[in-house]
Amino acid sequence: MADSPALVGLYRANLGYQDAAVLDNVDLELHSGDLIAIAGPNGSGKTTLFRTILGFLPVLSGTLTRNCALSEFGYVPQSTALDPTFPISAREVVEMGGYSRLKPYQGLPAEEEKRLENVLQQVGLSHLAQRLFFSLSGGQRQRILIARALMVGPKILILDEPLSGCDPESQKAISELLVSLSREEKKAVFFSSHDLRMVQCVTDKILRVDGGKVGWEEGALASHPW
Amino acid sequence: MVSFLEMLSPSFLLFPALVGSAILALVCPLVGAHLMLRRRVFLGLTLPQIAACGVAFTFWLHQAAGFSHGGGGERLLAMAGSLLFTLAGMGMLAYLDRHASGSPEGRLAAAYALASALTILFVVFNPAGELEILNLLKGEVISLSMEELKLLAIVYGAVYFGLVLFRREFLLNSFDRDLSFLLTGGSAQWSFWLYVLCGSSIAIGVIMAGPLLVFGFMVLPPLAARALARGMSSFLTVSSLIGLFIAIFGFYLSIRLDLPLGPTDVAFGCAVVFIVYAIQLALRRSRSATALLVAVLIVGLGCSAPKAQAPLDMQALGQSPIWLASVRNSTGSDLRLPGSNPLRSLGEMAGKISPDYRPTVMDLLRGSVKRELEQRKIVVSFPEERDARLQSFPFEAVSAATNARAANLSGWLLLSDIRRWNTDGRAPLSTLVEMRLVRIDNGAISWNKQFQKVVPMVGAARLDEASADAVKEILREMFAG
Repeated sequence: MADSPALVGLYRANLGYQDAAVLDNVDLELHSGDLIAIAGPNGSGKTTLFRTILGFLPVLSGTLTRNCALSEFGYVPQSTALDPTFPISAREVVEMGGYSRLKPYQGLPAEEEKRLENVLQQVGLSHLAQRLFFSLSGGQRQRILIARALMVGPKILILDEPLSGCDPESQKAISELLVSLSREEKKAVFFSSHDLRMVQCVTDKILRVDGGKVGWEEGALASHPW
Repeated sequence: MVSFLEMLSPSFLLFPALVGSAILALVCPLVGAHLMLRRRVFLGLTLPQIAACGVAFTFWLHQAAGFSHGGGGERLLAMAGSLLFTLAGMGMLAYLDRHASGSPEGRLAAAYALASALTILFVVFNPAGELEILNLLKGEVISLSMEELKLLAIVYGAVYFGLVLFRREFLLNSFDRDLSFLLTGGSAQWSFWLYVLCGSSIAIGVIMAGPLLVFGFMVLPPLAARALARGMSSFLTVSSLIGLFIAIFGFYLSIRLDLPLGPTDVAFGCAVVFIVYAIQLALRRSRSATALLVAVLIVGLGCSAPKAQAPLDMQALGQSPIWLASVRNSTGSDLRLPGSNPLRSLGEMAGKISPDYRPTVMDLLRGSVKRELEQRKIVVSFPEERDARLQSFPFEAVSAATNARAANLSGWLLLSDIRRWNTDGRAPLSTLVEMRLVRIDNGAISWNKQFQKVVPMVGAARLDEASADAVKEILREMFAG
């Protein structure tokens, strides 16, 4: 993997908000096919790292390189970050991933419809497409958001705590999906969790973040307990 | 009484007002839905107040610069002030949302309080134009002229077009700003354009229809649609359709029940929201509860449907004379007609008419009814000509018949009461008159009818001409068939 240019690279980067560094001296490269987890307690800076990579926050110092457009990032926020008052259907949420390819006056073309069906099948929720998004369970909502990120047609998937708040069955389905996306579709997958034991079940490439420092964790190869 | 189908006819006098209401009701819910989704629904309350403050400010400035009121440019001036203040207020609130700490709701509440206070102060500073300002702030969709209707259609058409054309961008920006940033390269621009569309519609809407109606249409239809929607597309579509429903039936209720349009629409909209949620709740509980609720609603509507009032049956009068009681005036105004009749001047010169005397709407109505009845070969007399004590009668039938019998009258007594006869000179003349025919021998009411008429001031140069038109309309309905 390291032979191909990194899709995203952070070199001796300090990250944070308005001169208040949250993470110091971060060195990280993401390549196609990588499945990398970032683990650490709440408030340790996982979301800060994601938001910097996605361009929501500037790098305080150091270097950030991206070899793909921002529109090629598939971002999966925590579903609790979205406003539950929206009467939006699961299908409409997934459709959003394709908005950048549509002109304002354009209806959803046939190829987008097909892509939408495919990603819904990929996450195993075609049958729930017409349901209201916020009437779904936490795990189902997370999978719909992954489908939305896939609808973008991303080179990199960034997932903020995709396994939290999910029942064991959904955790199993999501982690299998992440493994499949990285191994079979060669997408770079970068996800966070505050539960180190859980991410060790999914990947052996684990970044440990704590006390403002980021370092690689020695992890076992993915061995699903489910 | 105007029927529902008559109201929908383009020849109906208030058709422009109905169209104006429908335009507001179609677009305001879309604007309100977006504000609601962004949890900024109180912008819908604060911005109209800021717009009203802009109107009062421009009027004060106009007066301070030495211009007099009544030049005809008030409406344009009001729109400029409304638009300027709304956009500036919106910009300020958006800036504070991004850069200031504290709760956005608190800022909106403070802005509302400040705008309300300043509005009153600007009105106080400018007593000369107080009436015009109050009329504009009240905003009366019923008095929309064709030019204003065109302006409303253009502005709201542009807002509607923008909201529909960029629905995806606005939706994405409201739902998930992070994804909007990734996919469209900037979320702030979409927020900006959304607020520009909202501000424009509110600023113009407040001038045309008043803050109450604009806020009502922005909030109530999306609230009802929220319970019915199965997705964002249906939410936005159903919001507009419910708005349209409220506008049309609210308009009809307003005419039918003789109530002011704005409060009627808002009250009816609240009832619609309540009914929608009640049905939804009943559906969740059981189907039988739903059936019961629907049955109660149908029975309620059926019972409240007013009965059609028949015209005066000339055959039933027989040969008995009709005594035309003096027309009662319950309006609180003296209803004197402006004097311009050259014959009147001749009468004054001849000493037949006192210069102090001015004819009233009551005289006009009674004289016209007398002429109509006489043309139909009915014997008509004024009671006071028989007995000077009978200058007036109570409108209550039994008491009126008792008084008539005491003066040895027989036959029929026609009582009339003017409940409303008003116009501000610009809005159409709005009238409400009730008449009843009473049998003198037993006090029974054999005929009773309310006449509600709205007469434009456009064709009639003055109030006396409009009043004459209104009386003609009343007589036409009274003797129809």
